[in-house]
Amino acid sequence: MFDVAPSVKSWEDVPGPRPLPLLGNTWRFTPYIGGYSVEHIDKVCLALREEFGNCVKMTGLLGRPDMLFVFDASEVERVFRGEDAAPHRPSMPSLNYYKHTLRKDFFGAEENCAGVIAVHGDQWSAFRTKVSRVALSAGAAAQYTVPVAEVADAFIQRIRSIRNEDSETPADFLNEVHKWSLESLSLIALDTRLNCFNASEDSESMRLIDAVQTFFLSVGELELRAPWWRLYPTKMFRQYVAALDTILSVTLSHVEKALKEIKANGSSKSLLQDLVTAAGPRVAAVAALDLFLVGIDTTSNAVASILYQLALRPQVQERMYEEISKVLQDRPMKPGDVNQMPYLKACVKEVMRMYPVVVGNGRQLTKDTVVCGYNIPKGTQVIFQHYVMGNSDDYFTNASEFRPERWMNRSPAQKHHAFASLPFGYGKRMCLGRRFAELEIHTVICKMVQAFKMEYHHEPMDYHIHPMYTPNGPIRLKLMDR
Amino acid sequence: MLRNFVKSLSARNLRCSIKNNGVSQSFISRRFIAPLSTTEPALKAEKVKVTFIFHDGKRMETQANVGDSLLDVVVNNELNIEGYGACEGTLTCSTCHVVLKPEDYNKLPDEACDEERDMLDLAYGLTDTSRLGCQIILTKDMDGLEIQIPETINDARV
Ligand code: HEM
Ligand code: FES
Repeated sequence: MFDVAPSVKSWEDVPGPRPLPLLGNTWRFTPYIGGYSVEHIDKVCLALREEFGNCVKMTGLLGRPDMLFVFDASEVERVFRGEDAAPHRPSMPSLNYYKHTLRKDFFGAEENCAGVIAVHGDQWSAFRTKVSRVALSAGAAAQYTVPVAEVADAFIQRIRSIRNEDSETPADFLNEVHKWSLESLSLIALDTRLNCFNASEDSESMRLIDAVQTFFLSVGELELRAPWWRLYPTKMFRQYVAALDTILSVTLSHVEKALKEIKANGSSKSLLQDLVTAAGPRVAAVAALDLFLVGIDTTSNAVASILYQLALRPQVQERMYEEISKVLQDRPMKPGDVNQMPYLKACVKEVMRMYPVVVGNGRQLTKDTVVCGYNIPKGTQVIFQHYVMGNSDDYFTNASEFRPERWMNRSPAQKHHAFASLPFGYGKRMCLGRRFAELEIHTVICKMVQAFKMEYHHEPMDYHIHPMYTPNGPIRLKLMDR
Repeated sequence: MLRNFVKSLSARNLRCSIKNNGVSQSFISRRFIAPLSTTEPALKAEKVKVTFIFHDGKRMETQANVGDSLLDVVVNNELNIEGYGACEGTLTCSTCHVVLKPEDYNKLPDEACDEERDMLDLAYGLTDTSRLGCQIILTKDMDGLEIQIPETINDARV
């Protein structure tokens, strides 16, 4: 074959804005599952690509490794395919600190029991192996079909009761979606119905709800603002730690319950029990903690975004409604039903292409790697700009049009680069909760379309990063009973 | 280490169990993660002949157990295909991509489920008769199966 080293250019030659920060000091990056926290980074990235091309160097970031933004799907593909045994995804420093310094006695007590979030190398790999076969097998999610559908029914009942006189959802609708998400995830990760929609004060549910809320409020602050917590425990940081401790103690207590039940039944009957059986109680509790940390707001923001996009498109809803009615024919949902709803699934994919809740994913290079023809040094954070790529005509025919069909019948005439839109990531480190996320999302969207005609009668909303990519404004949907 | 771990798993446990027609729901009774110590009961393993054909034309014949996945076969026979089966059969990687002859492809008992199809889209050098090896479970009538292991992006660039 031909000569391989075709003049690879050096890191110094990679184009990029200099000097930083070009946007004043609001410019900060949060590796929140690789996403951004700056509100309008979506637009910033479009502009960066416009100015510098498909591969942009960002250096001089306060206290952070250099970054390389990649807008070329084929290069994303190459980086993913070149991954070694333990791909490194940049993560939240505050969580790093919690797991590896503050509570190292707990997370370091057994070998490889620190979890997957903010954990790297062999430790990550050993833990992931223990959990992924339980969490990612398709059957694992399917066994939750009926209870997840029950939670979706409870959600619908709830919003029926909180609509205003114009049948509109209240301004804090997203909060109700968060409750649905927490309720669904607790069912899966803790075998428990929390009854979030009407939890009583000082119940365990309420403590968990509060802790999760505190975690989300504080994590953004801690990661965005100057990291004073590294010097001394600020009030925010103490709240954050207390919230994590609470979530962990709740997961531990449920693991104990699971242990007892396994003993009593002689077999395991749920994801949590499977995890306890396969990997021990500590791993199970830490796994549940991690699922809580990243599995709630991702899913709820995705659902809010999908509902909003559907509300803007009555015809799409009609077609979904037909498909759903044909499959369900007024009977309750059972496992496998959504697999017969290709249009519904395609609509979800299409919203995730245009408005991915996690706008960018990334890898910290574990070895020097050639990207876009440049030699990129080990340690650089390579950020895959899925929001930009997903909306680019280079990768999708008529990218600005909402066309679910593109996911159903791929014709060779249509452009479609598989690595341009990867809402759940790819490879050994792909989203560990993907099967559950998809089950939850498909189920609740199915139920919503079945129950309501949805409309939206206010100013069109732009999206912002918060830190999930989500409509910027109150989600006031008009929901008319079908 | 890893090898043994993968070996000890029953292949059936990880296969997608819900087919697109929604009929087969055997998963309800089947706990997919048996405690790892209880390996398959040592039935007299039935064998079938499986031939791997590599992208450079090399062929390799193996005797494989009925009930194993093609990923199991690769691991158990230490075929050492670089990067193959990176996610250990959890359908997140598509490195276990195989290409079948059309007649074999059409005869497979199960179509690819949605989860497999989503990952198959990301396989390098996808063809009309591509499948993911971790999802194909050998049955008695697959004796003589020929499996092509396609080139990977890393082969292509060397
Ligand atoms: C729409 C919903 C969701 C989206 C868009 C999403 C997206 C992602 C992405 C992009 C990653 C990084 C993958 C990579 O590095 O290649 C990730 C990782 C992860 N997700 Fe999700 N996720 C969602 C829901 C969930 C849910 C519901 C759970 C828990 C049940 C969850 C658990 C995790 C975990 C534990 C990781 C870290 C995996 C690891 O580092 O090994 N996610 N997610
Ligand atoms: S081994 Fe990863 S998809 Fe088959």
